[in-house]
Amino acid sequence: MSIFAVTRLELRRLFVRPLAWVLAALTLAELAWRFVLLLGVFLANQVKLGATPSGPGYTDLVAVPMLSSLLTGGLIPFGLLEMALVIVPLLTMASIAGERTQGTMPLLLGTGLSATQIVLGKYLALLLWLLAWLVLAIAMPLSLAHGIQLDAGKLAAAALGSLLALAALAAVGVACSAFASHPAIAAAASLMIGLALTCINSGAQMAGVNSGAINWLALGTHLETLLRGLVYTGDLLWFVLVVIFALALAARRLAADKERG
Amino acid sequence: MTAPTAVLQLQDISRHRAGHPAVERLSLALESGQVLGLLGINGAGKSTTLSMIAGALNPDSGRITLNGEDFLERPGLARQVIGWLPERAPLWPELTVSEHLMAHGRLRGLASAALRQACDDTLERLDLTSLRRRLAGVLSQGQRQRLGLACALLHKPKLLVLDEPANALDPVQVSALRTLIREVADEGTAVILSTHLLAEVTAVCDRVAILHEGVLHYDAAIAGTDHQALERIFFDIALRGGAGTQAA
Repeated sequence: MSIFAVTRLELRRLFVRPLAWVLAALTLAELAWRFVLLLGVFLANQVKLGATPSGPGYTDLVAVPMLSSLLTGGLIPFGLLEMALVIVPLLTMASIAGERTQGTMPLLLGTGLSATQIVLGKYLALLLWLLAWLVLAIAMPLSLAHGIQLDAGKLAAAALGSLLALAALAAVGVACSAFASHPAIAAAASLMIGLALTCINSGAQMAGVNSGAINWLALGTHLETLLRGLVYTGDLLWFVLVVIFALALAARRLAADKERG
Repeated sequence: MTAPTAVLQLQDISRHRAGHPAVERLSLALESGQVLGLLGINGAGKSTTLSMIAGALNPDSGRITLNGEDFLERPGLARQVIGWLPERAPLWPELTVSEHLMAHGRLRGLASAALRQACDDTLERLDLTSLRRRLAGVLSQGQRQRLGLACALLHKPKLLVLDEPANALDPVQVSALRTLIREVADEGTAVILSTHLLAEVTAVCDRVAILHEGVLHYDAAIAGTDHQALERIFFDIALRGGAGTQAA
């Protein structure tokens, strides 16, 4: 119950601050524009695509690329997940570092809540915001589902992958916020770690190495299979491990505040 | 006749900051309905002591007992037992006065019906009803202090911890605060307040404890001690480190 009290407080604070609204409005406007462009490309190639029975359809060319440009080779860049690399750090930066700079952290620590409860409560609130963001983005391609053949299974796997990626980035953001003395430092650190997780295997891939630990560490390796509609337990586990590791670090750092003062 | 219950008991608590002792082997006990004034100059260790009592800071050593239970082993006790007003009343500037109270109530585990009633009562008691929809970020320092106090009192704690509660209050508000503290104590709540003003202590407290450089130098009942004698003791401790003065 205490975790939900923190979640409720954090959600309320997110909704009354302009930052969350501005980010949501701007990114959804960009995604709507992206949807129109992807739909235009799909409609322009519809005749050619119809001639190939096993060729890509609406889900591969419009719905999934809305979430990420990972599979489209950068054609119309910046899907939801590419934007999340910047948006998530901005949302999470103040979650703990902001309480410190405002001097309100003792209020939470003084309510008898453990560091883990505070971290989980704040993380849940951010996750709910990101979930709403993801649902609104997916609603755009879904709005045409009644008149078009949609691969629901593939889209569901891609949506799950996107949610897990957002959850991992949010956990990293909360951890950075727990370690940073100022929200801006937290945002910068979270952005850098997000980028590192995304591109850590770029060099290996350029050298033609498609297996090994370096590829396993990369977010893209696990996200790509989900975006292709394939759900592997190993990939799900990777996201869960990142979330647990980052949140455990955040809780540990916050608990140390009580020790260090 | 039953012996009065110690709501709070500190046993040899110590806390160091940057290698220096902020609080050194402090022992105190506080019974229900008692008002203890923690007196000391700036940097004496008052806020550190209160942060440890409120559960926002862990002592390096020693034991804190709340209602007979080990607080360090059960930090969750703070939820129901303690109400805390930290120094300068930190608030979330984007939330309104009533949102603050609702959030504090939920964090303290109050159920919604009881919470609404408690909010209304506390707003009225602290004369904040007309400000209930105002954002905390635009409140004056005195209003912030009253809101902080309202948050601390909302769940009817057994122990009220006030860090410099009269800061930024005008004389009328200070008088109202003193009345409120006495009322709360009469209802059975133990109150510990820190201040560097002797007049504050003599006006409202039953007992005074004087801290200097983290060490408790004096702890005695106010009744029977005249203001000037207490002032001499305070200055003696503050200026000469209290040589010859002992905890009573």
